[in-house]
Amino acid sequence: MIGENGRQHHIQLREGDVGRYVLLPGDPGRCEPIAALFDDAEFVASNREYTTWTGYLNGEKVSVVSTGIGCPSSAIAMEELIAIGADTFIRVGTSGAIQPGTPDGQLAIVTAAIRDEGTSSHYLPMEFPAIATPQLVDAIAKGARRHQISYRLGVSQSKDSFYGEVEPDRMPMSGMLHDRWNAWVAGGAICSEMEAATIFIIGAIHRVRTGGVMQMHSGEGEADRNQLLEASVEALRILIAEDRAGSEWP
Amino acid sequence: MFLPGDPGRSEPIARYFDEPRLVAKNREYETWSGYLDGELVSVTSTGIGCPSAAIAMEELVKVGSDTFIRVGTSGSMQPDIRPGTLGIISGAIRDEGTSSHYLPIEFPAVADIEITRALALGARQIGRPYRIGISQSKDSFYGQHEPGRMPVANRLRDRWSAWMAGGAICSEMEAAALYIVASTLGVRAGGVMMIMGHYDQAPMTPEEEAEGSLDNLLPAAIAGLRALIAHDRELAVAS
Repeated sequence: MIGENGRQHHIQLREGDVGRYVLLPGDPGRCEPIAALFDDAEFVASNREYTTWTGYLNGEKVSVVSTGIGCPSSAIAMEELIAIGADTFIRVGTSGAIQPGTPDGQLAIVTAAIRDEGTSSHYLPMEFPAIATPQLVDAIAKGARRHQISYRLGVSQSKDSFYGEVEPDRMPMSGMLHDRWNAWVAGGAICSEMEAATIFIIGAIHRVRTGGVMQMHSGEGEADRNQLLEASVEALRILIAEDRAGSEWP
Repeated sequence: MFLPGDPGRSEPIARYFDEPRLVAKNREYETWSGYLDGELVSVTSTGIGCPSAAIAMEELVKVGSDTFIRVGTSGSMQPDIRPGTLGIISGAIRDEGTSSHYLPIEFPAVADIEITRALALGARQIGRPYRIGISQSKDSFYGQHEPGRMPVANRLRDRWSAWMAGGAICSEMEAAALYIVASTLGVRAGGVMMIMGHYDQAPMTPEEEAEGSLDNLLPAAIAGLRALIAHDRELAVAS
């Protein structure tokens, strides 16, 4: 939706403001640290929870745009970014580990997402799988390997309620929350976050590429945040090189 | 493991193995085993549909299988996908009843990415056109082919339109349950389907029928499994 100033209504951007490659953190405060890894990074806009920086990697224009927390605001960001020409999205952020024994700080490269949220059903029936583009999954894994960063591939839970996950017992629906959490564990899901499912579903509809890499927190201590950013920026470099070569995945 | 639907396809697939032998045949389940590049491999038919496919996978995992490739035929869901194209199934629409007995419907039916990659390499090696994408796994064959005569015709047509808008590439009847059961059991699953027909159910020409021959699917599937065996061996050496 274009406003009177010619910019997309919520993100306050117009064509040319962003590259086709976009990193999507949740927190607007993470945009500047991520952009610090780009060449010639510039602040572009900030409106509501949407902060945008644009720069270059290997001479290609790339951007970072925050989505805010949750699928409703992420869907708006995706829709408006696609409208101004972006076509490759990697969600980056933090998540809770789901499987016991996950090392604190290990990266989760998200292959698909549990649609445990309300937004994506406004797009496609619930039976449709929210899956990442295999080429992006592969590029992120390569990026992590190049920096010797520990990772695992798997399914994320995209939930709408943060406190339903971390404090289920105080919710009136606690029985259901526990039962479903146990089902996600048994199904092999690896991490819990709040945006991937809708990003993947909107990607499917618009025929754009989507992926995600999440740093998993499993306990005490502060993991090395640089690993998440190194892996995701390296993934963009790999994709830029693959796209320039015109090579088809795999 | 290869998993075709039709028991009549187990033997034709096994002919690509070294030293193929019939192992067992009961109900819709026909199993042959042999070798590819020195590795023991098998083919077991699942019958049509997710209920019998889930049983096959459960019992095969119990006897030691951990890698499953669904092979079979499917219907095109996009105007630009011609008969004879291979569909490599990266994820499946859970338009069926079986997988909900395992995991809530929100859980994605997703293929193992190494199998998806290997099957794409196999298709490329054989020189078949292929597409990587999502399949619709349905429970009703005639609901897809003759929706107009079903009491729920409008719902069937609306949902078919939604799957197309979501970019689904082909329609088949087993992948979703196989992928969900695989996630639950911690084993790998993927699939490669010969895409036949047209998204609007228009009849195929004789040339298109010929393109959709199994002779154009099986060599690619075999090449894909060989690529996967080679990949697994490299990983084993590396670790």
